[in-house]
Amino acid sequence: MIEIRNLHAGIEGTPILKGINLTINTGEVHAIMGPNGSGKSTLSKVIAGHPQYEVTEGEIIYDVNFKKVNIIDLAAEERAREGIFLAFQYPVEIPGVNTAVFLRAAFNEICKHQGADEMDPIDFDEYIRSKMKILEMDEKYISRAVNVDFSGGEKKRNEIMQMAVLNPRFAVLDETDSGLDIDSMRIVADGVNKLRNKNNAMLVITHYQRLLNYIVPDFVHILQDGKIVRTAGKELALAVEEKGYDWLKEGK
Amino acid sequence: MLTMEQNISPFIDTVQKYSAELNKNNSPDWFKKVRENGLSRFTTLGIPTPKHEDWKYTNLAVLSNTPFKPAARVALSFQDQIQRICAKDEITIVFVNGILNEQLSSLDNLPKGLVLLPLNKAITEHETQIKELLSKYKPTEDTPFVAFNHALAEHGIYIQITDKTVIEKLIHIVHVTQSTEASLTTASNFIILGKSSEATVLETHVCFDQSVYLSTPLTDIVLAENAVLHYCKAQSESLKSFHVGNTRVWQERDSHFDGFALMNGGEITRNDLDIISNGEGTSSTLNGFYGTNGKQHVDNHSSMDHRLPNCTSNQLYKGILNGESHSVFNGKIFVRKIAQKTNSYQLNKNLILGVNCRVDTKPQLEIFADDVKCTHGATIGQLNEDEIFYLQTRCISKKDAVKLLAHGFVEDILNKIQNPAIIKKLTILLEPTFAALE
Repeated sequence: MIEIRNLHAGIEGTPILKGINLTINTGEVHAIMGPNGSGKSTLSKVIAGHPQYEVTEGEIIYDVNFKKVNIIDLAAEERAREGIFLAFQYPVEIPGVNTAVFLRAAFNEICKHQGADEMDPIDFDEYIRSKMKILEMDEKYISRAVNVDFSGGEKKRNEIMQMAVLNPRFAVLDETDSGLDIDSMRIVADGVNKLRNKNNAMLVITHYQRLLNYIVPDFVHILQDGKIVRTAGKELALAVEEKGYDWLKEGK
Repeated sequence: MLTMEQNISPFIDTVQKYSAELNKNNSPDWFKKVRENGLSRFTTLGIPTPKHEDWKYTNLAVLSNTPFKPAARVALSFQDQIQRICAKDEITIVFVNGILNEQLSSLDNLPKGLVLLPLNKAITEHETQIKELLSKYKPTEDTPFVAFNHALAEHGIYIQITDKTVIEKLIHIVHVTQSTEASLTTASNFIILGKSSEATVLETHVCFDQSVYLSTPLTDIVLAENAVLHYCKAQSESLKSFHVGNTRVWQERDSHFDGFALMNGGEITRNDLDIISNGEGTSSTLNGFYGTNGKQHVDNHSSMDHRLPNCTSNQLYKGILNGESHSVFNGKIFVRKIAQKTNSYQLNKNLILGVNCRVDTKPQLEIFADDVKCTHGATIGQLNEDEIFYLQTRCISKKDAVKLLAHGFVEDILNKIQNPAIIKKLTILLEPTFAALE
């Protein structure tokens, strides 16, 4: 699905990612853990194509129409239309923009891109309501401005609801569990699990092992100082939760 | 040595000439006096220059060199455009070049408790009410263009709502200008709400071609005890026009003024909104939006005068600037010594999309009471890169993201208007602003 090769990237001349290698196959869920400042969020933004980050070396190879394509030069919206999704750590509030209108615009961009007919507002309304049910979201949010006056938990649910609407092939979840109480986290994790299937793949970035009891990953990677220093199964998450990250430092 | 004649600018000369002509007609003497007083004050004050603190950022020097004449009666070529912003279920009052056009207006079958008269009739039939209203303002406090309006007062509408009457229909005053030479219009409107009455008034100023004119409307509003007025002034005029307008609001106790100003700009637009809260328990909403493009200049001045305790005022003005335009916001809030427990909030937000725009924003708070809550703020900025990126990750192109965010910026403030019919009309008037985003 996606293969990151020797990826180096930074912002305003400061290198943050220093040679990431990561391959994620269709149907897999990978988790990335790591201390603050290790480059987790940068990696998510670079995959999604944030224009402020500069890729200095390496490639991101992604399957587009059964061909392997380096997407480094594609704009964020072009990557999104090819099925790459980023659930934000801090979802952005958009005052004055109605959630349903916004998501229909997004959804219809994908339709256009795939040469399909656009969905009309009435059909879309039904479609979005079915997705909100998965996340146990109150339907009143449909007509509210995107993320405005949403609580932290509601914003995170809204991210996964958007993922459900856009149905991406590859989703990056950036600390979707941070700041959530256990009930909200379960709802979000259940939502993610319902979206998981053999045709898509996910990269789950988190600080806390707890999430991985609910979204069980096939692989866990530890990111430190811009590099993946260890890869193993889900038990690795338990080990770092217990022992911290120091024992994984390079050279140890 | 210069003689007196040479000192007087051609502009003042014009005003003197036309004011004198108006006073030759058969207006009542007291009203002739209003014109004379207005004229003498305007002659003394003249066109304000940027040396005057209230006119620091708006230079009207161009007016003195433009040979204005009173606007003439014309057959309007843009009836379809007028139809677009009017509706059957409203009370429409259309002024073409400042002159009431009864054909385009719907003045029949008025609801009970609503008096609606052209100014020339009102000054004889409602002399007491108009005199009383005018007496509330000390002449020295008048801005030059209130004096100017008085000097040339001839046309306008008088609206009076009887005590305890609720007018459900929207009252829509349309001022449309269409002129082949530089012309002057001065609408003088009066809106008087009786005790516990309620009404919604929309005052639109439109032009559908490139007419050159100076419009100096003055709307005087009085809210008696416990009255509620939803008032919107909306303007979308010729890019060669000058609009220097005033709205003065007088609030008695427990009244609620719910105001909105849409200034979509001519060449130079200056809009003053002055509210005097002269009773306890009043609330006032002063919201507004301005959209500018090219070399347009829009200046919104507001003044909220809290004279008595336990009153609230809320103000939010937002603007989008494109091209090389310039906007000015000046928000005065006075809290008099006895006006304890005043709650006053002011915010001005500017979104700059053009490369060479300028914003001057100035809160001006003068608080003499010690137990009040007053907050104010101003922001000037471009669209946030993270917001654009968020939309891009949702498949929306950067260009569309900018459009969507700018639309949202406008919708956010439009949604504060309670009357959906007004929102619909404003959306039509905002078309130039939205077109500038394309």
